[in-house]
Amino acid sequence: MPDIAISADKLTRKFGKFTAVDEISFEIPYGSIFGFLGANGAGKSTTIRMLCGILAPSSGTGKVGGFDVQTQPEQIKTVIGYVSQRFSLYSDLTVMENLLFYGQIYGLEGTDLSVRIKEVLTLSGLDHFRDRLSGELSGGWKQKLAIANSILHKPKIIFLDEPTAGLDPLSRRAIWELLYQLAEGGTSLFVTTHYMEEAERCNTIAFISNGKILKIGQPTHLKQELSRQILEVACRPLMKASRIFSKLEGVRGVTVYGTTLNLNVSDQKAVEARVKDAAGKEGVEISSIKPIPASLEDVFSDLDTNHVIPAKAGIQGTESNA
Amino acid sequence: MRNIKAVAYKEFIQVSRDRRTLMLLILMPIMQVMIYGYGINTDVKHLPTYVYDQDRTYLSRRLVDSFTQSDYFTVRTQAKSLAEVYSALDKGLAQSALIIPPNFTGDLLKKKGAQVQMIIDGTDSTPATVALNSSQAIINAFMQHEGLIPIQVLPIDFRPRLWYNPDLKSTYFMLPGLIALVLQFLVPMITATAIVREKERGNIEQLLVTPIKPYELILGKIIPYIAIGVVIATSIITTMHYLFVVPIHGSIVTLFFMTLIYLVVCLGIGLWASTVADNQQQASQLVMFLAMPSILLSGFIFPRESMPIWVKDISYLIPMTYFLQIVRGIILKGLGFFDLIGQVWPLLLMAVLVIVFSIRRFSKRMA
Repeated sequence: MPDIAISADKLTRKFGKFTAVDEISFEIPYGSIFGFLGANGAGKSTTIRMLCGILAPSSGTGKVGGFDVQTQPEQIKTVIGYVSQRFSLYSDLTVMENLLFYGQIYGLEGTDLSVRIKEVLTLSGLDHFRDRLSGELSGGWKQKLAIANSILHKPKIIFLDEPTAGLDPLSRRAIWELLYQLAEGGTSLFVTTHYMEEAERCNTIAFISNGKILKIGQPTHLKQELSRQILEVACRPLMKASRIFSKLEGVRGVTVYGTTLNLNVSDQKAVEARVKDAAGKEGVEISSIKPIPASLEDVFSDLDTNHVIPAKAGIQGTESNA
Repeated sequence: MRNIKAVAYKEFIQVSRDRRTLMLLILMPIMQVMIYGYGINTDVKHLPTYVYDQDRTYLSRRLVDSFTQSDYFTVRTQAKSLAEVYSALDKGLAQSALIIPPNFTGDLLKKKGAQVQMIIDGTDSTPATVALNSSQAIINAFMQHEGLIPIQVLPIDFRPRLWYNPDLKSTYFMLPGLIALVLQFLVPMITATAIVREKERGNIEQLLVTPIKPYELILGKIIPYIAIGVVIATSIITTMHYLFVVPIHGSIVTLFFMTLIYLVVCLGIGLWASTVADNQQQASQLVMFLAMPSILLSGFIFPRESMPIWVKDISYLIPMTYFLQIVRGIILKGLGFFDLIGQVWPLLLMAVLVIVFSIRRFSKRMA
């Protein structure tokens, strides 16, 4: 199937007795953005490392760009781009020197190389910084450089490990515009992120927890599955209400927002009555209560909450320090 | 090949931007030559000496003169009492003392057998031995010169000669050895930190997902440091030869060729250290740890001949042991490649082993 860029079939990686990635399976077509969500330690990095050909799977198979992760890791490296979470280009080299170095490593030479460097500089908007030491660039520009660098050899598949972690909203938007541009050109993007609103931008998302994929699908589908089940309650005192409501029958989860609670409920009508009843008894003052469309975060917190990231994460975005 | 060139080129740029390392690389070798050349001088000359001449005659003064003229002793003070002499020795003001009793000349003339006492500070064995031997020689010469004993015709005409370093200058011995020491210290250090730095800063993470092969990365990273090693060696040899006038009797080409082999060993050690250490600090500590026994056991300062057998056996495992014999052999004795074959092959073997082993260890797949 030439239209499948990345596929995994029961891909598993064990470290001793610990199973970091447990029989995960998925298919990612060319030209799409695949969002890979999960807490730190859920198995995201291990999955990426296996797919990039730098870590052999314990069992299962995976194909990247038509090459097998088990037997053809070196071929995989020639057809993928990789943007790491931490800036890992040479900070004591200039933008130009970094691109020249990596371009050569990817087998580009002479005019081909200089033409291609010009292209990626223009695409990423780094033209003006070509002679700047890359260590002196701001976070957003560093990340753009990393992306520009990863596409020097025109890979059809790019892995991005939390490409926007720690960036300000404007830089994040700029990065995503760049990613869309790449996807439009037919490139397949494998992106891990902590940010829920970024997950919404993906064509397909998968939630991973404890090495297992809990849910996979298009963001809109995932939300629709949940849409009749979110109850927004504006009330005070908020934390006390949260504790009380979470114990009620039919409430599967409570997420605290600024002045409201989002109740993830199985039966909206019945729970609404129970909430009002409990509030009256416990002295919680409810100012409004209404059903709202689910967000991806609700989908997230609906999953086995014990092992998924804390429900609050993703509102302002967790500042990842992994 | 292209990849190796690319890595080497970027490594050169990085080194040239790293001011601190550059200063270290330029200054340290020259500083070491200065310290060993000027400071650590084991030549025993001008030993501070107190003289307590109670005879005060023409002959006793002649005796004192013959001590002063020898260059080994310098008279600091004409002491006025034994107590003064003892106290000077205690305080270290004097390292030797010459005591001539009151009836020195009288006894000599009466052929009764005069006495002269020499006290030497034996704390440090090296100057003490030199003082002991030379004082003996001075007295013998004095007696012959003054006609106090007849000039004998000995059955064996024994004529010892000092070859290679007739003046027994310690710079002749130390400075060529310094090439070995500085390279053994600096080269593994910069190599190890350069590689560990990539690990520490996460650069390796990016390189791992590129098609570059481990050996290309390693060779590319090593080449600039071979060049730097050659520059270091050149700067030491130049200072040694022109500032301290140590003659180079052998071939410069052979010397540099041997230095290259030794450099490969040093780089290999650095490479190995980089595969063990997680950060630059650990890497440099590891290199220091390895350098210490090399300095002490290789014969750089202490003669290996006087070491216990088992220590000497250990010293055969140290690359510097062989390279010291090579540099001293070429510089002081003018030996050629084939004279040194016994030292060259162990060094070559070590070079091959350490490089192969390190490249293997530097495996690309992280498990």
